Amino acid sequence: MFRLMRAARLAAGALVIATAAAHAAGGPGSASEPDGLWTGPMQSYTPSTLKGAEVVDADGVAALAAKGDAVLIDVAPADRKPPTLPEGALWAPQHRSIPGSAWFPGAGPGDLSPAQEAALKARVLELAGGRLDRPMVTFCHPDCWGSWNMGKRLLGWGFRNVFWFPQGREGWQESDRPTAVVKQDSVWAAAAKAEAGPAAPQ
Amino acid sequence: MTRHFVPFAAALLAGALAATPVLAEDDAAARDQRWTELRQDVFGDRAVEQSKDVVALDAPVRAEDAALVPMAIKTADPAWIKGLTLIIDENPGPVAARVTFGPAGDAGLLKLRTRVNTYTNVHAVAETTDGKLFDTVRFVKASGGCSAPAGSSEEEAMKGMGEMRLKVRDEITPGKSAQATLMIRHPNFNGMQMDQITRAYTPARYIKEIKVTYNDKDVFSLVSDISLSTDPVIEFGFKPEAKGQIKVAATDTEGGHWEKTFDVPTQSN
Repeated sequence: MFRLMRAARLAAGALVIATAAAHAAGGPGSASEPDGLWTGPMQSYTPSTLKGAEVVDADGVAALAAKGDAVLIDVAPADRKPPTLPEGALWAPQHRSIPGSAWFPGAGPGDLSPAQEAALKARVLELAGGRLDRPMVTFCHPDCWGSWNMGKRLLGWGFRNVFWFPQGREGWQESDRPTAVVKQDSVWAAAAKAEAGPAAPQ
Repeated sequence: MTRHFVPFAAALLAGALAATPVLAEDDAAARDQRWTELRQDVFGDRAVEQSKDVVALDAPVRAEDAALVPMAIKTADPAWIKGLTLIIDENPGPVAARVTFGPAGDAGLLKLRTRVNTYTNVHAVAETTDGKLFDTVRFVKASGGCSAPAGSSEEEAMKGMGEMRLKVRDEITPGKSAQATLMIRHPNFNGMQMDQITRAYTPARYIKEIKVTYNDKDVFSLVSDISLSTDPVIEFGFKPEAKGQIKVAATDTEGGHWEKTFDVPTQSN
């Protein structure tokens, strides 16, 4: 039911997009695969496929995680603090994700700076222990291009076992599996901080 | 030496990342820890006692729409209650509302509609007139309510901002509390919603305070944050006389201020 409401809300937004941009949106998973990375609105209907990668559901992710050697990469953006928060109001964001995930907020956009792209690649390769055959799972939220882009990047870097989990954290929660509080990947956070500019994590 | 150590450490780290299933007990511990921290932030070192006999919270186990999650706070002895605080633990701005009741208010039943960011514990805390704090908790399954767009466009959502309606739900009997529902038209932009076309975040602009009086006596004042839904709807109790007026004043974070007075019972021809 929640999915329906969300779909309805996105559809309302998508109608506006359809007139403004070339891509029409028929529903979740209805977009066609771009050749390269997606640089349009990050929260909009994605394709249902990613060429070269395997699409998995929550059970699939759980099975991969249970085997023990999969690297789970969450690219959901960080909560953004409203600049007009009244003085004294409590702001205490924390990020919940699939247990064991590495969180890379701000790594989803298709137009990262070359320095960020390099930092991201180096860190992900490090997490994979340099093994390109390591199972790599990417996700964020439903209708989120960030995880699609991350999967595309992994393939471009030569990873051979890439899994894309389009339902993301919400799909994981709906399967009644517990989430865990995760901190931003520290190496990525440092790289993003050094970059500190328009492309810094949201 | 360190050069040899780094790949080894990385491999260890990668292994650790890959194999950490979280047990339900761990999750409960993490959620308790979150509450301990929030409780400290909001109430400091004051004791907060768990008690369903003093305060109860009705919330859907699984919400239909995460941007419109209804919460109903009930108290057993309204005359003993000075204030209520609603805290949505996992929301980045967890304090959804802080309500203080006045002499014309009734804390028996308060209903609000909220945004929920992810599966979360929700706490309702009652403060008594003698300064004690009582707490009750519910787990709510809803997700994505904070970044859900407020409507089809920013412009559309801003239309009629500040318009108010009030519906008194009960017959007016002097000396007997009555329930009323207040609706305020306001997008309550929380700064986390993105315009789908421009990819820019809609600037935050939300109601931060609502004051309601009846015949110039305080019913309640409410301080809110980014967790109240678009077009806030608040049901509250008040103590009517035979005839009177409810006056509502709302202020938002951009200095917008709106007031409206309603006859109670409604004047009709």
